[in-house]
Amino acid sequence: MSVVVDSLAFRYPAAGAGLDGVSLDVAPGEFCAVIGPSGCGKSTLLKLIAGFLSPAAGQIRIAGTDMTGVPPRLRNLGIVFQNYALFPHMTALENVAYPLKLRGIGRAERLNRAGQALERTRLSGLADRHPRQLSGGQQQRVALARALVFAPGALLLDEPLSALDAAHRAAMRDEIRAVQREHGIATLHVTHDQEEALSIADKVAVMRDGALLQLASPQELYDRPADRFVAGFVGHANLFDATVCGPDLVETSIGPLACTTEGRPIGTAVTLLARPEAVRTDPPDGAVNRFTGTLVRDRFLGSLRRYDLAVPGGTILGETLSRGDIRSVQIPPDCLRILPA
Amino acid sequence: MSGSPILRLLLAVPGLALLILFFLLPLGAVAWQALAGDAIRRVFAQGDLLAALGNSLLLGLEAGLASVVLGVAVALHLARLPPGRRALLQVVIALPLTFSGLIVAYGFILLLGRAGFATLLLAELGADPAAIAAFLYDRPGLVLAYSYFLTPRVILTLLPVFANFDHRQTEAAESMGASRLRALIDILAPQVAPTVLASFALVTAVAFGAYGTALALVGTQINILPLRLYSLIADAGADFPLAAALSVLLLAVCSFLMAVAEIAAARSEADHHVRT
Repeated sequence: MSVVVDSLAFRYPAAGAGLDGVSLDVAPGEFCAVIGPSGCGKSTLLKLIAGFLSPAAGQIRIAGTDMTGVPPRLRNLGIVFQNYALFPHMTALENVAYPLKLRGIGRAERLNRAGQALERTRLSGLADRHPRQLSGGQQQRVALARALVFAPGALLLDEPLSALDAAHRAAMRDEIRAVQREHGIATLHVTHDQEEALSIADKVAVMRDGALLQLASPQELYDRPADRFVAGFVGHANLFDATVCGPDLVETSIGPLACTTEGRPIGTAVTLLARPEAVRTDPPDGAVNRFTGTLVRDRFLGSLRRYDLAVPGGTILGETLSRGDIRSVQIPPDCLRILPA
Repeated sequence: MSGSPILRLLLAVPGLALLILFFLLPLGAVAWQALAGDAIRRVFAQGDLLAALGNSLLLGLEAGLASVVLGVAVALHLARLPPGRRALLQVVIALPLTFSGLIVAYGFILLLGRAGFATLLLAELGADPAAIAAFLYDRPGLVLAYSYFLTPRVILTLLPVFANFDHRQTEAAESMGASRLRALIDILAPQVAPTVLASFALVTAVAFGAYGTALALVGTQINILPLRLYSLIADAGADFPLAAALSVLLLAVCSFLMAVAEIAAARSEADHHVRT
């Protein structure tokens, strides 16, 4: 079953924040992450899809049915909330069994099915515990089991990992993805963590100020960002203000750079993007786009080393496996991407 | 705390003396008076005193129930308001708590008495002023007047619990297929029940023992325990052992209700502490 959002608009009565004509679709079995800075409208989008808010305009279709204006209880969506929203007066088993109880399934049958769901998330030994007796990761698993036990049409995840510490987050991320694959369920995952989004999703929606900037696969988002904001928000980036000053040549604050200008006329203001891992260290003398400077920051991160090289007019951010001294770098022309200013 | 045990004992002496002189001693005297003779037996032999006990219990339960039903509804509403407006309304709601029972009674007489403002307005519509006054000057009137100053107590004790309740729980229930009402019954109700019960027991105890408003509103015409006690003490040549027995009875019922409230409150407190 799929989730389709068409030209969705919403405005909060008090603040100026809201949503302006957002359209996206999540196919059956697809995992779509929605990222953006706080206040970008990603949580609003989730609430609109869940039915906790009503849109000013636009349409929400779940499994092909128009659900705009339908109350949350009839939308058949599994939701995992940021704080899990487990019921503190029920055990883990009762929590998972509750959606089945609402569907009129008998006690024995629903406890049996809830037990199986807990078993799949490796929690069978903790079925009789109350939420307060469970760790964050365990609560997370109960919440996930509860959201999936009634075979919902789609799964909505509202920053489900933000309450976990870094070590558990990565493991939980893989677990969520595995469970999602197993159920083959359309999933919308709202997060502010771009790394999480890139690693877990089939496609990523980047939002800002209530608008959808780009909807693309993680690779495309990283390699071909739609604009300067997306480029800066997703991964690390060198972003230079530039002006086209000749065929395949632009002028920047750090000097002229050779790159493909895709036929833009001279004088056009653009933004140049260079990912730090594309920056080469110790290029031969006379190489194009070669810069010499001094190392001002040097961060050893284990599998790689991230450094800032101060050059006249600016700084170049690079990543390398080399452990040697760095005095000069090259930004290969084919690694420079030209974006709207 | 530091200092020698003797010094600490010395410091406690004034407080202890006060407690003994003005609490334990009088209480002991009353209890002794009540239990020494046949006063307790006489209370249970006297049909009208037993009826007074029954009426008082009924009045307490009715006023308690009315206040809790009203208070829960108002507290639920307040909990959903933005904090600024909630604080403003809280001040307005807390105002009746500062009124003495006498003032409340007088206010209701001005409003619903035989020549009351509302009575006269209703009379214009064809209502019988005598019927309205009869309503005010009997148990229904007392339930109304008591609820007037008990409801704010209920609201103020429930509001923090309702305001701190995580509404994502009910949203979660709704997303799983529960109606709004079902979510409130299944998810909110069990979690706030101990506090509501504690609040109910507390206001019932207050209504059971209150006499100022009753005295001002209906005088001694209504047969309730606090007013019987009042007449016994106020009358010349009083039957003190009987008054003492009634006091002990009153105290016992109130203590029982307060114990219920305390146990319920402790349970919700314990729940809350483990949860956070």
